[in-house]
Amino acid sequence: MALISVSHLKKYYRVYKKEPGLSGSLKSLFHRKYEDVKAVNNVSFDIKEGELVGFIGPNGAGKTTTLKVLSGLLYPTSGKVSVLGFIPFDRQPQFQKQFSLVMGQKNQLWWDLPALDSFLLNKEIYEIPTQQFNQTLAELVKMLDLGEVLKVQVRKLSLGQRMKCELVAALLHLPKVLFLDEPTIGLDVVMQQKIRDFIKGYNQKYKATIILTSHYMDDVKELCSRVIIIDKGKIFFDGKLDAIIKKYADHKILELVFSGPVTKSDFSVIPAAKIKDFDLPRVTFSVPRDSANEVAAKLLTKFPVADLNITEPSIEDIIRVVFTGRDMS
Amino acid sequence: MRKYWQIFKISWQNTLIYRFNFFMWQVRTVLSFLTIYFFWFAVFTQYNQIGTYTRTTMFAYLLVAAFLRNLVLWSDSYHACVEIANGDLNNYLLKPLSYFGNWLARDWADKILNLLFFVPELALLIIIFRIPLVFPTSLWVWAWFIVLAILGSLLYFLFSFLVSSFSFWYPEHDGWPLRFFMLMFLDFLSGAAFPLDIFPQPVTTLFKFLPTSYFIYFPTQVYLGRLSFSDQLSGLVIMLFWLLVFFYLVKIVWHKGLQIYGAYGR
Repeated sequence: MALISVSHLKKYYRVYKKEPGLSGSLKSLFHRKYEDVKAVNNVSFDIKEGELVGFIGPNGAGKTTTLKVLSGLLYPTSGKVSVLGFIPFDRQPQFQKQFSLVMGQKNQLWWDLPALDSFLLNKEIYEIPTQQFNQTLAELVKMLDLGEVLKVQVRKLSLGQRMKCELVAALLHLPKVLFLDEPTIGLDVVMQQKIRDFIKGYNQKYKATIILTSHYMDDVKELCSRVIIIDKGKIFFDGKLDAIIKKYADHKILELVFSGPVTKSDFSVIPAAKIKDFDLPRVTFSVPRDSANEVAAKLLTKFPVADLNITEPSIEDIIRVVFTGRDMS
Repeated sequence: MRKYWQIFKISWQNTLIYRFNFFMWQVRTVLSFLTIYFFWFAVFTQYNQIGTYTRTTMFAYLLVAAFLRNLVLWSDSYHACVEIANGDLNNYLLKPLSYFGNWLARDWADKILNLLFFVPELALLIIIFRIPLVFPTSLWVWAWFIVLAILGSLLYFLFSFLVSSFSFWYPEHDGWPLRFFMLMFLDFLSGAAFPLDIFPQPVTTLFKFLPTSYFIYFPTQVYLGRLSFSDQLSGLVIMLFWLLVFFYLVKIVWHKGLQIYGAYGR
């Protein structure tokens, strides 16, 4: 039985379009053209207990909208959604006590008060027993290395410290389901890594089911074995991260370092080898997957090669290509 | 219930952080009372009586009205329209918490804190300007007045929420256009600046049926003992009627509003 189940979900927004300039503004005062934006258009997926799923896609793809529907913030235009056996939009307290949504660009903490005050408020809101609260808080503070920060006004915290506090506030009631919307946005590399480790730890320790959206491929590569790629409101990939490579990467990358002089035109004798980058002595080729070995052998025999490296294209490359709809090679 | 008590406490903490801001609000409340006071002070140097009000009864009215203005119309919950417009409402919708309960707790925290400061300030003004004081004749009137003040606060709370719901449909300006419009008229229509029965009979009758008279004017009249038993009874019936109407309107409008709510902010 799936813990999260989404079937044929659609969410359309009505937005009005204004022509540019003052005349457009005046016109829009009296007459407005409305248009439906299909933020999520017929999306279906199931997620099992304990899974950590990456949700990726360009800006405006519908990731956040999907998470908001799953959290009960948005009323679906059509389709069925169920989380932990509840319909999110009903917003039943029994459901709300078991999940959390964290948004990297929004905060729930009281801005003018120390984070600890917000935590104490959440303790009452989620009706967490005192002993459990103290224990969980101590544990989260230790995992995230927060310490003294808790007594400082939230507005005085750095972005990284605030994000950690946001995570604590969202996790005090130990949710079984966690939606993370770009939790690492705007953070430095070290802090990103810390947050990532923490998410992984939480997932393993509490068997929590997590959906994570991110623009940083590192987040997804490191945390999620399964990814759902969404673009323009539709899913076009759902599966293991490695499978994307097999499915979309129909070519391999050949990286060569030459020990003697070569020119671009020399390589026209091997038509299968397309030059991606020419920066002597290093030249990078893109070669169809099936003929990679054959082309490598030819290059080795015909040119003075110092070093050869055959690699898969990076996930970033694949995703970029998939989103822009261009040919892979 | 404990969660709302915690919200009550955290609201106080939040208000008291900004001492300067808090101080300026207190100055504002005193100034707005003084404006009204001096206006009527000037009027009564020319006239002995306005409508059925002598100088003493008028100032008694203004004092009670000033108290109620700082209780009933003192409200933090107008922020709801901003929270709807900018998506901060999300934070509440995610949690096992009633958004109305949340604002009711914060509202009362704010009202009580304000009164704790305003009542001594008012007492000081009474001493300085030697404003005559009038007290209700019996304990019953006191009790009755307090009940009506609480009902009036509730009525204003619902009314204010209804205005805030405007933001679901027109989030462009944080919901301020309608709220501004409302605030402009409220001092006038609630009876905060002057008693509503100084007008000709038809206008006074019209006011009796408007919900706004029940914020300040009606409870003040009860306090001063200026209403007959039947007038008090009919007033109460109209007030309860409006409470019910607003209660259901807010319920319906929020149900509809949440369905089209955009949860913006991202």
